[in-house]
Amino acid sequence: MKSLTLTFRRFFRDDGHYLLLLSPLLIFVVAVAIYPLFFSFRISLFDYRLTDPNQTQTFVGLKNYIRAFSDTVVIDSLKTTLVYVLGTVTLELALGLGLAMLLSAETQIARVLRSFLIMPMAIPPLVVGLVWKALYNADFGVIPFYMKAIGLNVGRGPLAELKLAMPAVILVDLWQWTPLLMVIFLAGLKSLPTEPYEAAVVDGASRWQSFWFITLPLLKPTALVALLLRTMQSFKVFDTIYATTAGGPGSVTTVLNFHIYTVGMTFFDMGYAAALANILLVVIAVLSVIYIMVLERQQL
Amino acid sequence: MMPIYWLLITAFKYGREAFAIPPKWFIFDFTLKNFIEALTTVKTPRFILNSVIITSGATLLSLILGVPAGYAIARSKSRLLNLSSYFFLLLLMVPPVAMLIPFYLIMRDVHLLGSYFAVILLDTVFDASFVVWMMRSYFADVPQEMEEAALVDGASHVGAFFKVALPLSTPGIVASALYVIIYSWNDFLFALMLTSPKTKTIPLGILASFSAVEIGWGRMAAMSIFAIIPAVIISLFLNKYFVRGLTMGATKG
Repeated sequence: MKSLTLTFRRFFRDDGHYLLLLSPLLIFVVAVAIYPLFFSFRISLFDYRLTDPNQTQTFVGLKNYIRAFSDTVVIDSLKTTLVYVLGTVTLELALGLGLAMLLSAETQIARVLRSFLIMPMAIPPLVVGLVWKALYNADFGVIPFYMKAIGLNVGRGPLAELKLAMPAVILVDLWQWTPLLMVIFLAGLKSLPTEPYEAAVVDGASRWQSFWFITLPLLKPTALVALLLRTMQSFKVFDTIYATTAGGPGSVTTVLNFHIYTVGMTFFDMGYAAALANILLVVIAVLSVIYIMVLERQQL
Repeated sequence: MMPIYWLLITAFKYGREAFAIPPKWFIFDFTLKNFIEALTTVKTPRFILNSVIITSGATLLSLILGVPAGYAIARSKSRLLNLSSYFFLLLLMVPPVAMLIPFYLIMRDVHLLGSYFAVILLDTVFDASFVVWMMRSYFADVPQEMEEAALVDGASHVGAFFKVALPLSTPGIVASALYVIIYSWNDFLFALMLTSPKTKTIPLGILASFSAVEIGWGRMAAMSIFAIIPAVIISLFLNKYFVRGLTMGATKG
Protein backbone atom coordinates (compact mmCIF):
# COMPACT_ATOMS: atom_id res chain seq x y z
CA MET A 1 0.00 0.00 0.00
CA LYS A 2 2.77 2.33 0.98
CA SER A 3 4.70 1.68 -2.22
CA LEU A 4 1.55 2.39 -4.22
CA THR A 5 1.12 5.82 -2.69
CA LEU A 6 4.80 6.38 -3.28
CA THR A 7 4.41 5.52 -6.95
CA PHE A 8 1.48 7.88 -7.16
CA ARG A 9 3.39 10.63 -5.46
CA ARG A 10 6.36 10.15 -7.75
CA PHE A 11 4.04 10.16 -10.74
CA PHE A 12 2.55 13.49 -9.75
CA ARG A 13 5.93 14.99 -8.91
CA ASP A 14 7.56 13.97 -12.21
CA ASP A 15 4.61 13.98 -14.55
CA GLY A 16 2.05 16.15 -12.84
CA HIS A 17 2.63 19.10 -15.13
CA TYR A 18 2.30 16.81 -18.14
CA LEU A 19 -0.93 15.49 -16.75
CA LEU A 20 -2.03 19.10 -16.40
CA LEU A 21 -1.42 19.70 -20.11
CA LEU A 22 -3.21 16.49 -21.01
CA SER A 23 -6.19 16.82 -18.71
CA PRO A 24 -8.34 19.32 -20.68
CA LEU A 25 -8.42 16.91 -23.60
CA LEU A 26 -9.00 13.90 -21.35
CA ILE A 27 -11.97 15.56 -19.70
CA PHE A 28 -13.34 16.59 -23.08
CA VAL A 29 -12.96 13.13 -24.55
CA VAL A 30 -14.54 11.38 -21.60
CA ALA A 31 -17.54 13.70 -21.75
CA VAL A 32 -18.02 13.85 -25.51
CA ALA A 33 -16.77 10.45 -26.70
CA ILE A 34 -16.55 7.88 -23.93
CA TYR A 35 -19.85 8.75 -22.30
CA PRO A 36 -21.77 8.49 -25.62
CA LEU A 37 -20.14 5.12 -26.30
CA PHE A 38 -21.33 3.80 -22.94
CA PHE A 39 -24.71 5.34 -23.57
CA SER A 40 -24.76 3.57 -26.92
CA PHE A 41 -24.09 0.25 -25.22
CA ARG A 42 -26.95 0.93 -22.85
CA ILE A 43 -29.50 1.73 -25.55
CA SER A 44 -28.41 -1.29 -27.54
CA LEU A 45 -29.92 -3.38 -24.72
CA PHE A 46 -33.29 -1.68 -25.09
CA ASP A 47 -36.09 -1.71 -27.59
CA TYR A 48 -36.11 2.00 -28.28
CA ARG A 49 -37.90 3.54 -31.24
CA LEU A 50 -38.09 7.27 -31.76
CA THR A 51 -41.21 6.73 -33.83
CA ASP A 52 -43.01 5.51 -30.73
CA PRO A 53 -45.05 8.49 -29.44
CA ASN A 54 -44.65 7.40 -25.81
CA GLN A 55 -40.88 6.98 -26.20
CA THR A 56 -40.99 3.78 -24.17
CA GLN A 57 -37.73 1.97 -23.67
CA THR A 58 -38.13 -1.71 -22.94
CA PHE A 59 -35.18 -3.64 -21.64
CA VAL A 60 -34.57 -6.59 -23.98
CA GLY A 61 -31.10 -7.72 -22.94
CA LEU A 62 -29.00 -9.01 -25.81
CA LYS A 63 -31.98 -9.47 -28.11
CA ASN A 64 -30.84 -6.73 -30.50
CA TYR A 65 -27.49 -8.47 -30.93
CA ILE A 66 -29.12 -11.87 -31.45
CA ARG A 67 -31.43 -10.28 -33.99
CA ALA A 68 -28.45 -8.79 -35.81
CA PHE A 69 -26.77 -12.13 -36.36
CA SER A 70 -29.93 -13.75 -37.71
CA ASP A 71 -31.01 -10.78 -39.83
CA THR A 72 -30.47 -11.68 -43.49
CA VAL A 73 -30.28 -7.99 -44.43
CA VAL A 74 -27.38 -7.56 -42.03
CA ILE A 75 -25.62 -10.70 -43.24
CA ASP A 76 -26.03 -9.49 -46.82
CA SER A 77 -24.73 -6.04 -45.98
CA LEU A 78 -21.73 -7.66 -44.29
CA LYS A 79 -21.00 -9.60 -47.46
CA THR A 80 -21.41 -6.43 -49.51
CA THR A 81 -19.04 -4.63 -47.15
CA LEU A 82 -16.43 -7.37 -47.54
CA VAL A 83 -16.63 -7.20 -51.34
CA TYR A 84 -16.33 -3.43 -51.21
CA VAL A 85 -13.43 -3.45 -48.75
CA LEU A 86 -11.53 -6.18 -50.58
CA GLY A 87 -12.12 -4.58 -53.96
CA THR A 88 -11.11 -1.08 -52.97
CA VAL A 89 -8.16 -1.95 -50.75
CA THR A 90 -6.40 -4.45 -53.03
CA LEU A 91 -6.81 -2.35 -56.15
CA GLU A 92 -5.75 0.82 -54.35
CA LEU A 93 -2.67 -0.86 -52.93
CA ALA A 94 -1.58 -2.06 -56.36
CA LEU A 95 -2.38 1.20 -58.15
CA GLY A 96 -0.96 3.33 -55.34
CA LEU A 97 2.32 1.44 -55.49
CA GLY A 98 2.38 1.77 -59.26
CA LEU A 99 1.79 5.51 -59.10
CA ALA A 100 4.41 5.93 -56.40
CA MET A 101 6.99 4.08 -58.52
CA LEU A 102 6.12 6.20 -61.56
CA LEU A 103 6.15 9.52 -59.75
CA SER A 104 8.95 9.06 -57.23
CA ALA A 105 11.44 10.89 -59.44
CA GLU A 106 12.25 14.43 -58.36
CA THR A 107 11.42 15.94 -61.74
CA GLN A 108 9.24 18.97 -62.33
CA ILE A 109 6.54 16.91 -64.09
CA ALA A 110 6.39 14.32 -61.31
CA ARG A 111 6.08 17.08 -58.73
CA VAL A 112 3.21 18.79 -60.57
CA LEU A 113 1.41 15.50 -61.16
CA ARG A 114 1.77 14.56 -57.50
CA SER A 115 0.25 17.79 -56.29
CA PHE A 116 -2.69 17.38 -58.69
CA LEU A 117 -3.23 13.81 -57.57
CA ILE A 118 -3.59 14.93 -53.97
CA MET A 119 -6.66 16.98 -54.81
CA PRO A 120 -9.29 14.18 -54.85
CA MET A 121 -8.49 13.30 -51.24
CA ALA A 122 -9.26 16.81 -50.08
CA ILE A 123 -12.57 17.16 -51.95
CA PRO A 124 -15.71 16.53 -49.87
CA PRO A 125 -16.67 12.88 -50.50
CA LEU A 126 -20.26 13.95 -51.00
CA VAL A 127 -19.23 16.21 -53.90
CA VAL A 128 -17.14 13.38 -55.33
CA GLY A 129 -20.20 11.13 -55.17
CA LEU A 130 -22.47 13.66 -56.86
CA VAL A 131 -20.00 14.38 -59.66
CA TRP A 132 -19.62 10.67 -60.40
CA LYS A 133 -23.38 10.25 -60.24
CA ALA A 134 -23.67 12.79 -63.03
CA LEU A 135 -20.83 11.18 -64.98
CA TYR A 136 -22.54 7.79 -64.69
CA ASN A 137 -25.98 9.11 -65.67
CA ALA A 138 -27.55 6.94 -68.36
CA ASP A 139 -29.05 9.85 -70.33
CA PHE A 140 -26.41 12.52 -70.32
CA GLY A 141 -23.49 10.98 -68.45
CA VAL A 142 -20.08 11.01 -70.07
CA ILE A 143 -19.10 7.49 -69.05
CA PRO A 144 -22.11 5.60 -70.49
CA PHE A 145 -21.68 7.68 -73.66
CA TYR A 146 -18.16 6.40 -74.23
CA MET A 147 -19.08 2.91 -73.10
CA LYS A 148 -21.81 2.84 -75.73
CA ALA A 149 -19.39 4.25 -78.26
CA ILE A 150 -17.15 1.22 -77.88
CA GLY A 151 -20.12 -1.10 -78.06
CA LEU A 152 -20.80 -1.90 -74.40
CA ASN A 153 -24.33 -2.34 -73.12
CA VAL A 154 -24.95 0.00 -70.19
CA GLY A 155 -28.68 -0.53 -69.69
CA ARG A 156 -30.03 1.99 -67.22
CA GLY A 157 -26.58 3.32 -66.43
CA PRO A 158 -23.77 1.83 -64.33
CA LEU A 159 -25.30 2.84 -61.01
CA ALA A 160 -28.70 1.30 -61.75
CA GLU A 161 -27.59 -2.08 -63.09
CA LEU A 162 -27.26 -4.90 -60.58
CA LYS A 163 -23.96 -6.12 -61.98
CA LEU A 164 -22.37 -2.75 -62.61
CA ALA A 165 -23.28 -0.82 -59.46
CA MET A 166 -20.63 -2.34 -57.20
CA PRO A 167 -17.72 -1.91 -59.63
CA ALA A 168 -19.00 1.62 -60.26
CA VAL A 169 -18.90 2.66 -56.60
CA ILE A 170 -15.55 0.92 -56.15
CA LEU A 171 -14.19 3.01 -59.02
CA VAL A 172 -15.30 6.18 -57.23
CA ASP A 173 -13.42 5.06 -54.13
CA LEU A 174 -10.35 4.24 -56.22
CA TRP A 175 -10.40 7.68 -57.75
CA GLN A 176 -10.52 9.40 -54.41
CA TRP A 177 -8.25 7.24 -52.27
CA THR A 178 -5.56 5.71 -54.49
CA PRO A 179 -3.57 8.95 -54.06
CA LEU A 180 -3.43 8.37 -50.29
CA LEU A 181 -1.64 5.08 -50.88
CA MET A 182 0.60 6.76 -53.39
CA VAL A 183 1.56 9.32 -50.75
CA ILE A 184 2.25 6.66 -48.14
CA PHE A 185 4.29 4.56 -50.58
CA LEU A 186 6.25 7.63 -51.70
CA ALA A 187 7.22 8.24 -48.09
CA GLY A 188 8.15 4.57 -47.80
CA LEU A 189 10.26 4.65 -50.97
CA LYS A 190 12.10 7.73 -49.77
CA SER A 191 13.19 5.99 -46.58
CA LEU A 192 14.64 2.95 -48.38
CA PRO A 193 18.40 2.43 -48.13
CA THR A 194 20.37 2.79 -51.37
CA GLU A 195 23.03 0.13 -50.73
CA PRO A 196 21.01 -2.93 -51.83
CA TYR A 197 20.35 -1.25 -55.18
CA GLU A 198 24.00 -0.45 -55.73
CA ALA A 199 24.86 -4.05 -54.92
CA ALA A 200 22.17 -5.23 -57.33
CA VAL A 201 23.58 -3.09 -60.12
CA VAL A 202 27.00 -4.57 -59.49
CA ASP A 203 25.47 -8.04 -59.68
CA GLY A 204 23.89 -7.13 -63.01
CA ALA A 205 20.23 -7.24 -61.89
CA SER A 206 17.60 -5.77 -64.19
CA ARG A 207 15.36 -2.95 -62.97
CA TRP A 208 12.44 -5.35 -62.80
CA GLN A 209 14.48 -7.78 -60.70
CA SER A 210 15.59 -5.10 -58.29
CA PHE A 211 11.98 -3.94 -57.94
CA TRP A 212 10.74 -7.48 -57.33
CA PHE A 213 13.51 -8.68 -55.02
CA ILE A 214 14.53 -5.48 -53.21
CA THR A 215 11.85 -2.78 -53.34
CA LEU A 216 8.84 -4.99 -52.70
CA PRO A 217 10.22 -6.84 -49.66
CA LEU A 218 11.53 -3.59 -48.19
CA LEU A 219 8.16 -1.91 -48.69
CA LYS A 220 6.27 -4.68 -46.93
CA PRO A 221 6.03 -2.84 -43.59
CA THR A 222 4.71 0.30 -45.32
CA ALA A 223 2.25 -1.78 -47.30
CA LEU A 224 0.98 -3.49 -44.17
CA VAL A 225 0.33 -0.18 -42.43
CA ALA A 226 -1.36 1.22 -45.53
CA LEU A 227 -3.44 -1.92 -45.92
CA LEU A 228 -4.77 -1.80 -42.38
CA LEU A 229 -5.43 1.93 -42.51
CA ARG A 230 -7.38 1.74 -45.75
CA THR A 231 -9.29 -1.35 -44.61
CA MET A 232 -10.55 0.51 -41.58
CA GLN A 233 -11.46 3.55 -43.65
CA SER A 234 -13.15 1.46 -46.29
CA PHE A 235 -15.37 -0.21 -43.67
CA LYS A 236 -16.64 3.24 -42.79
CA VAL A 237 -17.61 4.44 -46.28
CA PHE A 238 -20.80 6.45 -46.24
CA ASP A 239 -20.87 9.74 -48.15
CA THR A 240 -20.12 8.44 -51.62
CA ILE A 241 -22.61 5.57 -51.28
CA TYR A 242 -25.23 8.01 -50.03
CA ALA A 243 -24.64 10.33 -52.97
CA THR A 244 -24.37 7.77 -55.77
CA THR A 245 -26.58 4.73 -55.22
CA ALA A 246 -28.09 5.17 -51.74
CA GLY A 247 -27.41 1.46 -51.31
CA GLY A 248 -29.21 0.36 -54.46
CA PRO A 249 -30.14 -0.93 -56.88
CA GLY A 250 -32.00 -3.27 -54.57
CA SER A 251 -29.37 -3.57 -51.88
CA VAL A 252 -26.29 -4.49 -53.91
CA THR A 253 -24.29 -1.53 -52.58
CA THR A 254 -25.77 -1.40 -49.07
CA VAL A 255 -22.65 -1.65 -46.96
CA LEU A 256 -23.05 -2.23 -43.21
CA ASN A 257 -22.23 1.35 -42.31
CA PHE A 258 -24.95 2.62 -44.63
CA HIS A 259 -27.42 0.05 -43.33
CA ILE A 260 -26.85 1.20 -39.74
CA TYR A 261 -27.57 4.75 -40.79
CA THR A 262 -30.81 3.65 -42.44
CA VAL A 263 -31.96 1.67 -39.40
CA GLY A 264 -31.14 4.48 -37.00
CA MET A 265 -31.86 7.66 -38.88
CA THR A 266 -34.60 6.61 -41.29
CA PHE A 267 -36.49 4.00 -39.28
CA PHE A 268 -35.43 5.49 -35.95
CA ASP A 269 -35.00 2.02 -34.47
CA MET A 270 -32.35 3.30 -32.09
CA GLY A 271 -31.77 0.21 -29.97
CA TYR A 272 -31.14 -2.01 -32.95
CA ALA A 273 -29.06 0.62 -34.75
CA ALA A 274 -26.90 1.06 -31.66
CA ALA A 275 -26.39 -2.71 -31.45
CA LEU A 276 -25.34 -2.86 -35.12
CA ALA A 277 -23.06 0.14 -34.69
CA ASN A 278 -21.42 -1.55 -31.71
CA ILE A 279 -20.79 -4.67 -33.78
CA LEU A 280 -19.09 -2.53 -36.42
CA LEU A 281 -17.18 -0.79 -33.64
CA VAL A 282 -15.83 -4.12 -32.38
CA VAL A 283 -14.74 -5.15 -35.88
CA ILE A 284 -12.90 -1.86 -36.34
CA ALA A 285 -11.44 -2.00 -32.84
CA VAL A 286 -9.94 -5.44 -33.51
CA LEU A 287 -8.42 -4.12 -36.74
CA SER A 288 -7.15 -1.04 -34.91
CA VAL A 289 -5.41 -3.09 -32.27
CA ILE A 290 -3.68 -5.15 -34.97
CA TYR A 291 -2.73 -1.88 -36.66
CA ILE A 292 -1.27 -0.50 -33.44
CA MET A 293 0.66 -3.70 -32.80
CA VAL A 294 2.11 -3.53 -36.30
CA LEU A 295 3.09 0.12 -35.83
CA GLU A 296 4.63 -0.60 -32.46
CA ARG A 297 6.68 -3.49 -33.80
CA GLN A 298 7.96 -1.61 -36.81
CA GLN A 299 8.83 1.65 -35.08
CA LEU A 300 8.17 3.46 -38.33
CA MET B 1 -8.40 14.74 -63.22
CA MET B 2 -11.32 14.25 -65.60
CA PRO B 3 -14.11 14.48 -62.99
CA ILE B 4 -12.73 17.74 -61.60
CA TYR B 5 -12.44 19.18 -65.09
CA TRP B 6 -16.02 18.09 -65.79
CA LEU B 7 -17.17 19.82 -62.61
CA LEU B 8 -15.33 22.97 -63.60
CA ILE B 9 -16.76 23.24 -67.11
CA THR B 10 -20.27 22.22 -66.04
CA ALA B 11 -20.28 25.11 -63.61
CA PHE B 12 -19.75 27.50 -66.52
CA LYS B 13 -22.22 25.91 -68.94
CA TYR B 14 -25.87 26.46 -69.76
CA GLY B 15 -28.16 23.55 -68.87
CA ARG B 16 -28.69 22.27 -72.39
CA GLU B 17 -24.97 22.22 -73.12
CA ALA B 18 -24.07 20.50 -69.87
CA PHE B 19 -26.06 17.49 -71.00
CA ALA B 20 -25.15 17.61 -74.68
CA ILE B 21 -24.37 14.27 -76.23
CA PRO B 22 -21.63 13.91 -77.38
CA PRO B 23 -20.13 15.81 -74.44
CA LYS B 24 -18.66 19.22 -75.14
CA TRP B 25 -15.25 19.14 -73.53
CA PHE B 26 -13.65 22.27 -74.87
CA ILE B 27 -15.98 24.54 -76.82
CA PHE B 28 -19.19 25.74 -75.20
CA ASP B 29 -21.09 28.93 -74.42
CA PHE B 30 -19.46 30.40 -71.37
CA THR B 31 -21.82 31.68 -68.66
CA LEU B 32 -21.74 32.81 -65.07
CA LYS B 33 -25.47 32.12 -64.68
CA ASN B 34 -24.90 29.14 -62.38
CA PHE B 35 -22.73 31.11 -60.01
CA ILE B 36 -25.17 34.01 -59.89
CA GLU B 37 -27.99 31.57 -59.17
CA ALA B 38 -25.94 29.80 -56.53
CA LEU B 39 -25.26 33.06 -54.77
CA THR B 40 -28.72 34.59 -55.04
CA THR B 41 -31.56 32.06 -55.34
CA VAL B 42 -29.98 29.42 -53.12
CA LYS B 43 -28.54 30.36 -49.77
CA THR B 44 -24.98 29.44 -50.73
CA PRO B 45 -23.36 32.33 -48.81
CA ARG B 46 -25.19 31.15 -45.69
CA PHE B 47 -24.03 27.54 -46.20
CA ILE B 48 -20.47 28.70 -46.68
CA LEU B 49 -20.65 30.85 -43.57
CA ASN B 50 -21.97 27.88 -41.58
CA SER B 51 -19.17 25.69 -42.89
CA VAL B 52 -16.62 28.33 -41.98
CA ILE B 53 -18.03 28.69 -38.46
CA ILE B 54 -18.08 24.95 -37.82
CA THR B 55 -14.69 24.32 -39.39
CA SER B 56 -12.92 27.11 -37.55
CA GLY B 57 -14.61 26.23 -34.27
CA ALA B 58 -13.60 22.59 -34.50
CA THR B 59 -10.09 23.45 -35.69
CA LEU B 60 -9.42 25.93 -32.90
CA LEU B 61 -10.87 23.71 -30.21
CA SER B 62 -8.98 20.64 -31.36
CA LEU B 63 -5.69 22.55 -31.53
CA ILE B 64 -6.19 24.09 -28.09
CA LEU B 65 -6.95 20.69 -26.59
CA GLY B 66 -4.72 18.54 -28.76
CA VAL B 67 -1.40 20.35 -29.06
CA PRO B 68 -0.61 20.53 -25.31
CA ALA B 69 -1.78 16.94 -24.93
CA GLY B 70 0.51 15.79 -27.73
CA TYR B 71 3.38 17.64 -26.08
CA ALA B 72 2.67 16.05 -22.71
CA ILE B 73 2.63 12.56 -24.20
CA ALA B 74 5.86 13.16 -26.12
CA ARG B 75 7.78 14.54 -23.14
CA SER B 76 6.47 12.51 -20.24
CA LYS B 77 8.52 9.54 -19.14
CA SER B 78 5.51 7.87 -17.59
CA ARG B 79 4.59 4.70 -19.47
CA LEU B 80 0.92 5.33 -18.74
CA LEU B 81 0.91 8.71 -20.44
CA ASN B 82 2.95 7.37 -23.37
CA LEU B 83 0.48 4.60 -23.95
CA SER B 84 -2.44 7.01 -23.86
CA SER B 85 -1.50 8.09 -27.39
CA TYR B 86 -2.81 4.72 -28.57
CA PHE B 87 -6.05 5.47 -26.83
CA PHE B 88 -6.43 8.53 -29.04
CA LEU B 89 -5.50 6.55 -32.13
CA LEU B 90 -8.23 4.05 -31.25
CA LEU B 91 -10.67 6.89 -30.82
CA LEU B 92 -9.71 8.20 -34.24
CA MET B 93 -10.69 4.85 -35.73
CA VAL B 94 -14.15 4.65 -34.13
CA PRO B 95 -16.80 4.43 -36.87
CA PRO B 96 -18.50 7.85 -37.00
CA VAL B 97 -21.94 6.24 -37.03
CA ALA B 98 -21.25 4.47 -33.72
CA MET B 99 -20.54 7.83 -32.13
CA LEU B 100 -23.31 9.64 -33.96
CA ILE B 101 -26.28 7.55 -32.79
CA PRO B 102 -25.80 8.09 -29.04
CA PHE B 103 -24.55 11.64 -29.59
CA TYR B 104 -27.66 12.49 -31.56
CA LEU B 105 -29.87 11.27 -28.71
CA ILE B 106 -27.85 13.14 -26.09
CA MET B 107 -27.93 16.37 -28.09
CA ARG B 108 -31.67 15.96 -28.54
CA ASP B 109 -32.13 15.61 -24.80
CA VAL B 110 -30.11 18.71 -24.00
CA HIS B 111 -31.78 20.64 -26.84
CA LEU B 112 -28.61 21.30 -28.77
CA LEU B 113 -29.71 19.61 -31.99
CA GLY B 114 -29.31 21.98 -34.88
CA SER B 115 -26.72 24.14 -33.14
CA TYR B 116 -23.22 24.81 -34.41
CA PHE B 117 -22.01 23.63 -31.04
CA ALA B 118 -23.22 20.04 -31.51
CA VAL B 119 -21.35 19.56 -34.79
CA ILE B 120 -18.24 21.30 -33.48
CA LEU B 121 -18.13 19.04 -30.43
CA LEU B 122 -18.42 15.83 -32.40
CA ASP B 123 -15.95 16.97 -35.06
CA THR B 124 -13.50 17.88 -32.32
CA VAL B 125 -13.50 14.35 -30.91
CA PHE B 126 -11.96 13.08 -34.14
CA ASP B 127 -9.98 16.23 -34.93
CA ALA B 128 -8.34 16.47 -31.52
CA SER B 129 -7.46 12.77 -31.53
CA PHE B 130 -5.69 13.31 -34.82
CA VAL B 131 -3.88 16.39 -33.52
CA VAL B 132 -2.60 14.48 -30.47
CA TRP B 133 -1.35 11.59 -32.55
CA MET B 134 0.32 13.91 -35.03
CA MET B 135 1.82 16.40 -32.57
CA ARG B 136 3.14 13.65 -30.33
CA SER B 137 5.42 12.39 -33.10
CA TYR B 138 6.27 15.94 -34.10
CA PHE B 139 7.34 17.02 -30.62
CA ALA B 140 9.34 13.83 -30.26
CA ASP B 141 11.57 15.16 -33.08
CA VAL B 142 11.99 18.62 -31.55
CA PRO B 143 15.19 18.66 -29.45
CA GLN B 144 14.63 19.02 -25.73
CA GLU B 145 17.80 20.96 -24.91
CA MET B 146 16.27 24.39 -25.40
CA GLU B 147 13.36 23.59 -23.11
CA GLU B 148 15.77 22.29 -20.51
CA ALA B 149 17.75 25.51 -20.80
CA ALA B 150 14.55 27.47 -20.22
CA LEU B 151 13.81 25.34 -17.15
CA VAL B 152 17.25 26.07 -15.76
CA ASP B 153 16.56 29.77 -16.31
CA GLY B 154 13.58 29.44 -14.03
CA ALA B 155 10.68 28.88 -16.43
CA SER B 156 7.92 26.51 -15.39
CA HIS B 157 7.19 23.39 -17.42
CA VAL B 158 4.05 24.96 -18.79
CA GLY B 159 5.99 28.13 -19.56
CA ALA B 160 8.68 26.14 -21.38
CA PHE B 161 5.98 24.58 -23.49
CA PHE B 162 4.44 27.90 -24.52
CA LYS B 163 7.64 29.91 -24.97
CA VAL B 164 10.02 27.34 -26.39
CA ALA B 165 8.40 24.19 -27.73
CA LEU B 166 5.36 25.76 -29.31
CA PRO B 167 7.18 28.23 -31.61
CA LEU B 168 9.56 25.46 -32.71
CA SER B 169 6.73 23.22 -33.81
CA THR B 170 4.80 25.59 -36.07
CA PRO B 171 5.19 23.40 -39.20
CA GLY B 172 3.70 20.46 -37.32
CA ILE B 173 0.82 22.56 -36.09
CA VAL B 174 0.17 23.86 -39.61
CA ALA B 175 0.18 20.30 -40.96
CA SER B 176 -2.28 19.04 -38.39
CA ALA B 177 -4.47 22.14 -38.72
CA LEU B 178 -4.74 21.63 -42.47
CA TYR B 179 -5.78 18.02 -42.04
CA VAL B 180 -8.33 18.97 -39.43
CA ILE B 181 -9.72 21.79 -41.59
CA ILE B 182 -10.23 19.41 -44.49
CA TYR B 183 -11.85 16.82 -42.24
CA SER B 184 -14.35 19.25 -40.74
CA TRP B 185 -15.05 21.11 -43.95
CA ASN B 186 -15.74 17.88 -45.84
CA ASP B 187 -17.83 16.26 -43.12
CA PHE B 188 -21.27 15.29 -44.31
CA LEU B 189 -22.67 12.62 -42.00
CA PHE B 190 -22.44 14.60 -38.75
CA ALA B 191 -23.84 17.74 -40.33
CA LEU B 192 -26.61 15.69 -41.95
CA MET B 193 -27.91 14.56 -38.58
CA LEU B 194 -26.97 17.41 -36.29
CA THR B 195 -27.68 20.61 -38.21
CA SER B 196 -30.95 22.41 -38.79
CA PRO B 197 -31.89 24.32 -41.97
CA LYS B 198 -30.27 27.39 -40.41
CA THR B 199 -26.95 25.74 -39.67
CA LYS B 200 -26.62 23.59 -42.80
CA THR B 201 -23.09 23.29 -44.13
CA ILE B 202 -22.08 23.51 -47.77
CA PRO B 203 -22.19 19.76 -48.59
CA LEU B 204 -25.77 19.63 -47.30
CA GLY B 205 -26.62 22.77 -49.20
CA ILE B 206 -25.40 21.19 -52.41
CA LEU B 207 -27.52 18.13 -51.81
CA ALA B 208 -30.60 20.20 -50.98
CA SER B 209 -30.12 22.41 -54.02
CA PHE B 210 -31.12 19.72 -56.41
CA SER B 211 -33.26 17.31 -54.53
CA ALA B 212 -35.89 20.08 -54.61
CA VAL B 213 -37.98 20.65 -57.73
CA GLU B 214 -35.67 20.32 -60.66
CA ILE B 215 -32.24 18.79 -60.89
CA GLY B 216 -29.90 21.72 -61.30
CA TRP B 217 -26.59 20.13 -62.20
CA GLY B 218 -25.16 23.45 -63.30
CA ARG B 219 -25.99 25.07 -59.99
CA MET B 220 -24.76 22.03 -58.10
CA ALA B 221 -21.47 22.29 -59.99
CA ALA B 222 -21.18 26.00 -59.18
CA MET B 223 -21.82 25.35 -55.48
CA SER B 224 -19.35 22.47 -55.54
CA ILE B 225 -16.69 24.84 -56.83
CA PHE B 226 -17.08 26.76 -53.57
CA ALA B 227 -16.97 23.52 -51.62
CA ILE B 228 -13.69 22.39 -53.17
CA ILE B 229 -11.81 25.68 -52.75
CA PRO B 230 -9.95 24.43 -49.63
CA ALA B 231 -9.03 21.23 -51.47
CA VAL B 232 -7.64 23.18 -54.39
CA ILE B 233 -5.65 25.61 -52.26
CA ILE B 234 -4.19 22.82 -50.19
CA SER B 235 -3.24 20.54 -53.04
CA LEU B 236 -1.71 23.27 -55.15
CA PHE B 237 -0.04 25.54 -52.60
CA LEU B 238 0.20 23.81 -49.26
CA ASN B 239 0.59 20.22 -50.38
CA LYS B 240 3.89 19.74 -48.55
CA TYR B 241 2.17 20.28 -45.22
CA PHE B 242 -0.88 18.25 -46.16
CA VAL B 243 1.18 15.26 -47.30
CA ARG B 244 3.15 15.47 -44.10
CA GLY B 245 -0.09 15.32 -42.12
CA LEU B 246 -1.31 12.34 -44.10
CA THR B 247 1.83 10.28 -43.79
CA MET B 248 2.50 11.15 -40.17
CA GLY B 249 -1.12 10.43 -39.35
CA ALA B 250 -0.85 6.99 -40.89
CA THR B 251 2.51 6.01 -39.46
CA LYS B 252 4.41 7.01 -36.40
CA GLY B 253 5.94 9.92 -38.28
